[in-house]
Amino acid sequence: MSEKAYEVAHIDDLDRFPVDNEELLWRPVRRKLGITAFGTNAYTAEKGHERVVEEHYERDGAEELYFVATGRARFTLGDEEIDAPAGTFVYAEPETKRGAIAAEPKTTVVAFGAKPGVPHEISGWEEMFVAFGHLHNGHEDEGRKAMAAAIAARPDEWQGHFNAACFESLTGNRDATFEHLRRAIELDPKAAEFAQNDSDFDWLHDDPEFPA
Amino acid sequence: MSGTARLSDLAIQVGQTRWAMVRTHFGIQAFGVNAYVADEAGGVVIGEHDELGKAAGGHEELYFVANGHARFTVNGDEIDAPAGTFVFVRDPAAKRRALAEEAGTTVLIVGGKPGEAFTQSPWERQAPALIHFGTKEYDKAIRALEKLLAENPDDAAVLFNLACAESLSGKGQEAFGHLRRSVELDPDFRELAKTDSDFDPIRDDPEFASAIAGQPDAGSSSA
Repeated sequence: MSEKAYEVAHIDDLDRFPVDNEELLWRPVRRKLGITAFGTNAYTAEKGHERVVEEHYERDGAEELYFVATGRARFTLGDEEIDAPAGTFVYAEPETKRGAIAAEPKTTVVAFGAKPGVPHEISGWEEMFVAFGHLHNGHEDEGRKAMAAAIAARPDEWQGHFNAACFESLTGNRDATFEHLRRAIELDPKAAEFAQNDSDFDWLHDDPEFPA
Repeated sequence: MSGTARLSDLAIQVGQTRWAMVRTHFGIQAFGVNAYVADEAGGVVIGEHDELGKAAGGHEELYFVANGHARFTVNGDEIDAPAGTFVFVRDPAAKRRALAEEAGTTVLIVGGKPGEAFTQSPWERQAPALIHFGTKEYDKAIRALEKLLAENPDDAAVLFNLACAESLSGKGQEAFGHLRRSVELDPDFRELAKTDSDFDPIRDDPEFASAIAGQPDAGSSSA
């Protein structure tokens, strides 16, 4: 077989992509190692007060298991607040709201996930997170390449074009923003409503050619 | 249902290793998860195996060294794996194992089969019964395996392990019957029986040879 039988990576070697305004730092594991049967990601908080698990549901049906590898986190699981030192597992069913904030410096949470009863499909958001992560890290060209790869993988889904529009807007490219946004709206008219309310487009909302 | 657990609370002693049945504890249906702890340096934390055997799930497996320091061997390659190391074995045929370099070394394993919905590996289904072999509590193993057999009377692997437990607990006649049925259902168990030391107590009995030859029980009226 052409692929190697195994891959090895230390958590310190994983990429570091900022993904939100709460300093959530995404460390892609599945993507780095080429895992295809389930999703795996890590999140690290260096300072000790940052978000380590985005507050969210998994309404597409994925089960998720979190493992606090180092440090300490405070999880929200449904209505419960959970103190989770290193060595704690937190399991969340799809309809349970979950999230976590670091409670100590150098906290790392590893997340595993997949949907029961169906073969695992690699999540489309991964490459978009990579694109915006590169942008946050000051690597615009690498980010644009990742965004192009995300669109190429799912050319007929509006979300890729919409996120590409956000990317181009954030990097000051008016024409490319409009081009991607028009395509997103063509694929799904609800993209127009999202565009009207997305602050990524604030500097373009009053432009007479703004497509939304 | 959603919940939390500490790894240290889930881990039960199995021989020299402690084993946490994480998937079973939470009822996870989408992927396999287990954790193993070696309490002593030099101990086996992941026993040598591949993912092709009868009891295996054919999974790709991700190992994560959660604590301590492990030394993996995959297809003969040595891998130094301090805490925080991921070792991903994508090839189900690859032989892999891990030894603990430090006391308390803990390794998580997550597994699944690419392109297929997750199903429980045969070994995991039987594992709670097989744990009793490690503590030589063969009567408990027999009771647990009989329960599994009642759910699926033609499970050759359960029949085989039940015969092993019966052999070790001095129940030769029961062992011959279950071994014979196991080999009838799956002839591969004939070769396994020839080398499995669990059958040493009954190996010299002529009925053992008859059972693994797939010959009908002398007392049976069926052809």
